[in-house]
Amino acid sequence: MKNSLYAIACVSLLTFAGCKKSNNNVTTTGPTETQVLTDFSNDLANPNYQDIQAKAGVMNTAIDSLVLNTNTTNLNTARTAWVNTRRAWESCEGYLFGPVEDDNYDPDTDSWPVDAVELDSLLSSSNALTVGDISALPQTLKGYHAIEYIIFGEGSTAKASDITPRQKQFLSSLAQSIYNTTTNLRNSWDPLQGDFTAQVIGAGTAASTYFTSRQAAFLTIVGSMSDICDEVANSKMQTPFAARDSTLDESSFSHNSIIDFTNNITGIQNAYFSRYNNAGGHSLHELVAAKNASLDATLQSQMQAAISSFGIITTTFEKAIYTQRNQVASVQNTINTLKATLDGQLTTFVKTNIKD
Amino acid sequence: MKKLIVIGALGLCVLLLVKCQKSAVFPADQYNDQLSGGSETVFDATSKAFGNMFPELTGYDVHVHTLGDLIFNQEFVAEPAIIHGGLGPIYNNTACSDCHHNDGIGLPTTGGTQSSLLMRISLPGQDEHGGPVPVPGYGLQVQDKAVFGAVPEAAVNITYTYQELTLPDGTPYELRSPTYTLTNLYMPIVGDYLLSPRLAPPMVGLGLLEAIPESEIVAGADPNDANGDGIKGHANYVWDPVTQTTMIGRFGWKANTATVVTQVATAYNQDMGVTSSLMPVESSYGQSQYDGLKDDPELPDSLLNAVKFYAQTLAVPARRNTTDATIQHGEALFISAKCVNCHRQTFTTQVDVTRPYMSNQVIHPYTDMLVHDMGTGLADNRPDYLANGQEWRTAPLWGLGLFAVVNNPGYYLHDGRARNLTEAIMWHGGEAENAKNTFANMSASDRAAVLKFLLSL
Repeated sequence: MKNSLYAIACVSLLTFAGCKKSNNNVTTTGPTETQVLTDFSNDLANPNYQDIQAKAGVMNTAIDSLVLNTNTTNLNTARTAWVNTRRAWESCEGYLFGPVEDDNYDPDTDSWPVDAVELDSLLSSSNALTVGDISALPQTLKGYHAIEYIIFGEGSTAKASDITPRQKQFLSSLAQSIYNTTTNLRNSWDPLQGDFTAQVIGAGTAASTYFTSRQAAFLTIVGSMSDICDEVANSKMQTPFAARDSTLDESSFSHNSIIDFTNNITGIQNAYFSRYNNAGGHSLHELVAAKNASLDATLQSQMQAAISSFGIITTTFEKAIYTQRNQVASVQNTINTLKATLDGQLTTFVKTNIKD
Repeated sequence: MKKLIVIGALGLCVLLLVKCQKSAVFPADQYNDQLSGGSETVFDATSKAFGNMFPELTGYDVHVHTLGDLIFNQEFVAEPAIIHGGLGPIYNNTACSDCHHNDGIGLPTTGGTQSSLLMRISLPGQDEHGGPVPVPGYGLQVQDKAVFGAVPEAAVNITYTYQELTLPDGTPYELRSPTYTLTNLYMPIVGDYLLSPRLAPPMVGLGLLEAIPESEIVAGADPNDANGDGIKGHANYVWDPVTQTTMIGRFGWKANTATVVTQVATAYNQDMGVTSSLMPVESSYGQSQYDGLKDDPELPDSLLNAVKFYAQTLAVPARRNTTDATIQHGEALFISAKCVNCHRQTFTTQVDVTRPYMSNQVIHPYTDMLVHDMGTGLADNRPDYLANGQEWRTAPLWGLGLFAVVNNPGYYLHDGRARNLTEAIMWHGGEAENAKNTFANMSASDRAAVLKFLLSL
């Protein structure tokens, strides 16, 4: 390991020494690195964050309807809206970097576990529950899982008639608070507002204070793809699996865990292809394919395998950790195989081929 | 006999080389000055640069570090809870990473979910171990948040006054001076009390700092300024509640904590209200907020040890652009201005056969691990063991150039009052007065070179 570090250090030195800065960042064939960063921002990150905001808006409206008319139909509509928002959100977790992390949009909306004791105390108190009050609450009392706790309930057994007036008030503020946060998140990348997009596209130029080099930008993308593999396989799945305790599962109230996990891995694929909802542009995939077709094929196949692997679990994740343990372990292995390629060959590829 | 002479001669060479490293100037031919953390350096200049594991960890160590990473980022919740319970009843934040975001420097605010400034409190005088005296009903730290039904000890308020100043060449700069007050005290405090603000520091390289031989730290001390350079560093010696002994202080802005494990256990206990086997008594014990639950210790030893190991094995980011001529000029100025007389460039860690990744590493932390008088401007006027009210530990500068990337926009000094490096330098006083003035009197291009050098760290 030590030798390999020095080897990397030497390669880096040689690379720095041998490479004068130039505008020539064109690979032998395929797009330029800047084109890839541009399309990553314009075809994936911006549309994904816009979609999260839109879905959170739909959820906010659905919850308003539920609060006004608390019936089973409206509860089901709100649940569907929650699941759809999660779908867009979990997908962006495939590449968590920039404002979503640095400005805490992630923990503000997606902290886990819900502090059930505190939440019950809060709801049985007479404390104000306006949107402003929500923002001052600890992260474990708000966000997606606090809404899930109320509209799905433990074991997904909540009924419309169970929802109390205080819960309605809380739900309404929570949904508005999430909508506000997702709006800020969307704006943080919007070229007309926070414009983190310029930081990504301008990586390695004076336009970017965030990424001192294009290599740093690509390493961040690849690192974030690897991080979510780790989080899904070795944390979200492993914790309840190892403890044989389904209450330790993140989306246990809604039984939405497998959909969450699948969308996390789809987010990795989206990052590799610079695409969202099947529309995309120039991508890291093209950079890799132009120089190392075999690595590209390996990555594509491992990503697809990781997404498909969830198919062998034929029940909810909460049940599978008891009854389909071999299948769960197999999914974890498939994701960890992808992680090893991202950490190993793809990281090396970026360090070797993206030099400025 | 001949063999012995040869071995003796070799030994002498090694000793001489070791002695050479005490010199402040980089003997650049001996090692790569990019490798701030020795072989536990990582080449990462992204916003995740402070969150990398030692590259030489293998096997089970990787597992423990990864588990520690998970728990470091885990939000804790109130008891009784299915998992990660134990928060409060009074606390400052709900997860390690809420203050040490991206394992970096904190945000100098109080009361918010990402606020990373806490307030130490004490009565004048010393306790039986020479440390600060706890305030009845408050202890040594103000917990400004509480779980439902409990009352925070106080609200901590920060106000700034701004001074518009100019360097000798007319270049303007601004310093903001904080004032800290407590309001909404849950019970009155009798008599005067002392406050000291502490910002969450970056996490990199803590294990390597812990592995510096105490003798090497002490050897750098010059309490009577025998060498006449105007700088009198000395070590802080503190009571370690885990080993129940007096030890050299290494961590914290005033070096008031001896070991990483004590730091971690204390942070869980005091910052989050989470008890462990090393600190089994709730921070609220004896106060009206105490929960009386028989659930201590709340954090299993396995998780405490994992977080300790995580903190010990966070790699140091490599320096960037060390061959740049301006940066090299800036480094030479940093040395000639005697900044290195406190921000010592090089240490060698002790030999540790059980932990080869910690062992005999040549590291460049840019700290002498000693406390120095920094003048009245920075003084907290609250003694902490042997560190008096004007003394602070020399802050390690490794990773400094990445603060703005890891924790945009990045804050500096013990309470985050400095918003950029020029402000941080211009706050220096006391033993650093001359070095500060040397910087202030430099030409604009030389100052820019010093700053560019600092940004390469």
